[in-house]
Amino acid sequence: MNKAAPLTKLILTLAVSVWSLLLHTVSGLTILVFGQLALIVMAKAFGKTYKALAALTVFAAVLAGLQYLLGSGLELSLVTGLRMISMTEVFLLLLATTRMQDLTAALVSQCRVPYEYAFMFTAALRFVPDFIAESRSVQEAQACRGYSAKGSIFRRMTSYLAIVEPLVLRAVSRSETMAMSLALRGFGGASRSFTANVALGSRDYAMFAAMAAVTAGLVIVR
Amino acid sequence: MLELRNVTFGYKQKQPVLKNVSLSIGAGEFIAIAGRNGSGKTTVTRLLTALKKPNSGTVLLNGEDAAANTPADMARHIGYVFQNPDRQIFRDTVAHETAFGPEQLGFTPKEIEDAVTRALELTGLSDVAESYPPTLSRGQKQRLTIASALAMQPKMLILDEPTSGQDCCERQRLLELLTQLNSQGVAIILVTHDMEILARYPQRVVVMAEGEKVFEGTPRQLFSSSHPIAEWSLSYPTAVAIGQELFPDGSETVMSVDDLCQLLECELGGDR
Amino acid sequence: MTAIVFDKFSYAYSTGDPVLHSIDLTVPTGSFTVVTGPEGSGKTTLCLAIAGAVPQYFGGRMAGNVTVGGVKTTAINMADLARQVGTVLADYESQLVALTVAEEVAFGLENRGVPRLEIAGRVQQALAMVGLSGKEDNEVAGLSGGQRQRLAVASILVTDPDIIVLDEPASALDPEGTLELYRLLGELNKDHGKTIVVVEHHLTSILPYATQLVVMDNGRIVLDGPVMQILTAMVNCQLYAEAVPALWKLKFALEKVVKVSLSDWTSPGEAVIELKKLLASRKKGVAKSA
Repeated sequence: MNKAAPLTKLILTLAVSVWSLLLHTVSGLTILVFGQLALIVMAKAFGKTYKALAALTVFAAVLAGLQYLLGSGLELSLVTGLRMISMTEVFLLLLATTRMQDLTAALVSQCRVPYEYAFMFTAALRFVPDFIAESRSVQEAQACRGYSAKGSIFRRMTSYLAIVEPLVLRAVSRSETMAMSLALRGFGGASRSFTANVALGSRDYAMFAAMAAVTAGLVIVR
Repeated sequence: MLELRNVTFGYKQKQPVLKNVSLSIGAGEFIAIAGRNGSGKTTVTRLLTALKKPNSGTVLLNGEDAAANTPADMARHIGYVFQNPDRQIFRDTVAHETAFGPEQLGFTPKEIEDAVTRALELTGLSDVAESYPPTLSRGQKQRLTIASALAMQPKMLILDEPTSGQDCCERQRLLELLTQLNSQGVAIILVTHDMEILARYPQRVVVMAEGEKVFEGTPRQLFSSSHPIAEWSLSYPTAVAIGQELFPDGSETVMSVDDLCQLLECELGGDR
Repeated sequence: MTAIVFDKFSYAYSTGDPVLHSIDLTVPTGSFTVVTGPEGSGKTTLCLAIAGAVPQYFGGRMAGNVTVGGVKTTAINMADLARQVGTVLADYESQLVALTVAEEVAFGLENRGVPRLEIAGRVQQALAMVGLSGKEDNEVAGLSGGQRQRLAVASILVTDPDIIVLDEPASALDPEGTLELYRLLGELNKDHGKTIVVVEHHLTSILPYATQLVVMDNGRIVLDGPVMQILTAMVNCQLYAEAVPALWKLKFALEKVVKVSLSDWTSPGEAVIELKKLLASRKKGVAKSA
């Protein structure tokens, strides 16, 4: 999974969503869910995703339970729950086995998404840790001036709001500087190359073939 | 007044950032902490203000164990000025910003007003007291962070590289302010790698290298040639370096341009 | 050939008063020009004017013009001008956009469509120049301030511009790092003919390399010329004299007191040699008269 090209994984995401809708038996969907789980484990991504998977399962269970209580019947409720797990699971698999940079490279060079949109994601990701560090710094500065975080939740919230203003200002000023710097580095030109290698290999074509076969099979069976 | 005793600290157990460091600062002292980036000098100050707790060893404030102290408790005694002013300023006017500390410490309204007025006077910000801080110049923002610390009337001020990114006029002004505060009895801890400052202002210099304290003594002792200061990423201030070359037997210790001038004036006979 | 020419250039950002007043400045090709002056004197705006961001990115009002490589900065778009001029901003954090070190350096090359296979080699070279070799896969978020500043420099050097403009590039570096950076810039200037324009307060670091010193105050150029001449003028006219390096403060003080004209020192080593000679000759003089 890790060695498959990002495009292949994107198509897999689409395919699994289609399969989740085509399948309408508990047994079929269960196989799909565990099949994906197997892929996650084989890609050594379980450690990264188990928390999200657990949360997903709980959420799906609640959804299924609600539906059952509203009178949909056991089988239908289970199918809904399993479908939800299945369709979300593949996204987790995608994100855990693909670097953001490779994903954006694939989206732009192979799916014709305009580069600016893809860039927004990676640039935002780059700044998230800094933003967190800055808010921590401001909290430390407050502590060093006698502020203690005890007291009512109301008080804590109002003091957190006090931090937000300088952080937002800093984020805006930073984004302005970044925009200018991008212009100075030739961003937005017509021709763009990518260091990320997102070319398709034989493994990918094999996976395409397999996905096509499964889809065809499911359609026929249905 | 404030002491680190055999302190070891690290974010991960196997990678200590500070190894068995002991350091004490007395009331009214002016000390500098120097060393390469990553040597642990900023970490030392973070332990002194209880922003971090040591893995082993003790931090003592006025002779008592400060293990249970929070940074807010330490703020009653120590004003900490971080390196980046933008991360410390969060209120809508200069005066209001300066008042934050005294407010948190429970000063009465009259005390707050007096403390703020005095702090703004000392830092030369009285005429921008109602200004919106993001519109201030870099130098003014730096002075605002110092004023905010001073308003709490601390007995000690810790400053982390306050001259980096400042122009030479601001640098001069800052050093004059620190000298003035020190003469009024405020202890100063200055983290810096400006060699010219090290030679001239502190009474004592502490050098950190790779998490250990490798030197503690007067600037004169530091710059006498027996210390491997290049290994610690320090260099001799210009006048000191020249003085060492011209008087290698160490008979004369040159610590500043003025010293060297006087010496050479004698040697070269002055007005002829 | 002159690399950069400011011809009666004045500029005001759209939000306020004029920031530059009738700037006349010539930076010859291959020079190492240092711009200094108190905060707020217009140094950063001057740098942005060379890069074309002023006025193209900011709008505002301008008079006069700036010519880079023979072409007016208003007659060429920023991306094309950027092929000649590489700019390292004072706020280097905001300049870094990628998730890993290698990707940050590759960014400028990717924007120009440089073939993927060529990029890797050039990235490695650039990282080696600033001392970040081996950190290609490190996350930018995990780098220290000084490392990030050096990364910003590498990401500009990789595109091999003829003119490199740097706004306080050593602000986050320790003395060792500063020495290394200016040694690199000096090498690029001397051995590769790059034109360097750098804003710096710590003039001691640039003494061995600078060929031109410009002092600004309140949006005007108050001093401009060869380094030694300008340092003398800074002291004599008390223009931002606080920035005069200790070496030269010593030189001026000695000249006054010992009534001797000393040569133009660029390093403490040169000072030592000359002072030793002076001491020796005075001793001889004393011995003769004794």
